[in-house]
Amino acid sequence: MKIVGVSACTVGIAHTYLAQQKIEDAAKKIGDEVKIETQGTIGTENALKKEEIKEADIVLLAVDVKISGEERFKGKKIVKVSTETAIKSPNKLVAKLHEIVEKKN
Amino acid sequence: MKEFLKKANFKGHLLTAISYLIPIVCGAGFVIAIGMALGGKSQDSLVIGKFNFFQALATLGGHALGMLPVIIATGIAFSIAGKPGIAPGFVVGLAANAISAGFIGGIIGGYIAGWIAFAILKYVKVPDWAKGLMPTLIVPFLACLSSGLIMIYIIGTPVSWFTSWLTALLKGLNGTSNLIFGAILGILSIVDFGGPINKTAFAFALTLQAQGINGPVTALQLTNTATPIGFGFAFLVAKMLHKNIYTREEIETLKSTVPMGFVNIVEGSIPIVMNDIIRGIIAAGLGGMCEGAILMSLAHGEGATVPFGGFLMLPTMGKNWWVGLLAILVNVLVTGVVYALIKKNVSVDEKKINKEEDISLDDVQIM
Repeated sequence: MKIVGVSACTVGIAHTYLAQQKIEDAAKKIGDEVKIETQGTIGTENALKKEEIKEADIVLLAVDVKISGEERFKGKKIVKVSTETAIKSPNKLVAKLHEIVEKKN
Repeated sequence: MKEFLKKANFKGHLLTAISYLIPIVCGAGFVIAIGMALGGKSQDSLVIGKFNFFQALATLGGHALGMLPVIIATGIAFSIAGKPGIAPGFVVGLAANAISAGFIGGIIGGYIAGWIAFAILKYVKVPDWAKGLMPTLIVPFLACLSSGLIMIYIIGTPVSWFTSWLTALLKGLNGTSNLIFGAILGILSIVDFGGPINKTAFAFALTLQAQGINGPVTALQLTNTATPIGFGFAFLVAKMLHKNIYTREEIETLKSTVPMGFVNIVEGSIPIVMNDIIRGIIAAGLGGMCEGAILMSLAHGEGATVPFGGFLMLPTMGKNWWVGLLAILVNVLVTGVVYALIKKNVSVDEKKINKEEDISLDDVQIM
């Protein structure tokens, strides 16, 4: 499965990157392709490309604040959680994403 | 009701605004802290030839910090309505400043401006020939006018009354109640390491500073300063006890955590506490409690005149500078010793396998 997503927290220096790492680790562990864009205080890093979004099965937003570029995901299946959820239960979150994608098909 | 609260997303909009606010508080906070520490004072206006370098710094920072109600209002309105929210948010924030409704006024005004802009975008329908007027005239004009007038004629006065009432109440606090207030504030400042509780307490403390009550914001920031240093200190205490409480990875992290603490950035401690959140909260909470209690009681509710800066805040505390220093030291000591004592032994190479909490459906929003 292909997952793309965005992480962003209030201060944008800690939770944002923790969430990115946890999600990527959890997804890679079960063989998913994954890319998480971070929107921290420093700005957007690891930006998602158009074709990556197009090919993705699901979009995961681990965000506490308003993010920029949400319209890029129009028409995709989007799952939104807080960064806290992504950091605390990344494996269960990824499992949940699989459940949602399978249900859709 | 729950559905409504979720839809309205009060917290999310406030946090978005605070995320824009923080770099301004940090940047301007450091500038004013340096200026005031070296003898400058914030001036109403700078007249060429009549000010020195440090007055320039203090004024620069002071004017920026005076705009905080405007920034919070703009941020909230932007979060709600996107770009069309910026203009009414800015105007309503200035209105809040003008009518002395301050930070609370800015927050409320931001929601109003944002929702008005949102509603106009959604519900006002214009014929095709007027489509071009929507973004240039109709939305900004109607939203600025209505939210500004609501602030000035309806909300401003009660909010400014409330703010003065709160100010009077807190100024009247004596020894014991200051101690308790400080202890509670210290705990709230630190329990989530820079998360939403900390930021809400911060917004509250900033409101009070705008009224000339400097103790709370000082209590909050000094515990933010001391806690990361405390986790570093815990490493030394544990060594003395022949305990090993950090993995190699965590020790590497500490090398950036501690310096971040010195400049008032508590978030550096998050990677450390994430691995043992309960014990981390206990250690940090106890430290923050002692810090807040000491600061608020010994300094009688007074504090630094700047809202940010870590150790740089101390010189702006006037004769109370030693109270601030003492509060930091006690906080470092308590957090460090407590964490070293309650944390379990780990081997340096251990990899963390944490049990995960179940995800409740409330946490996940599927679109």
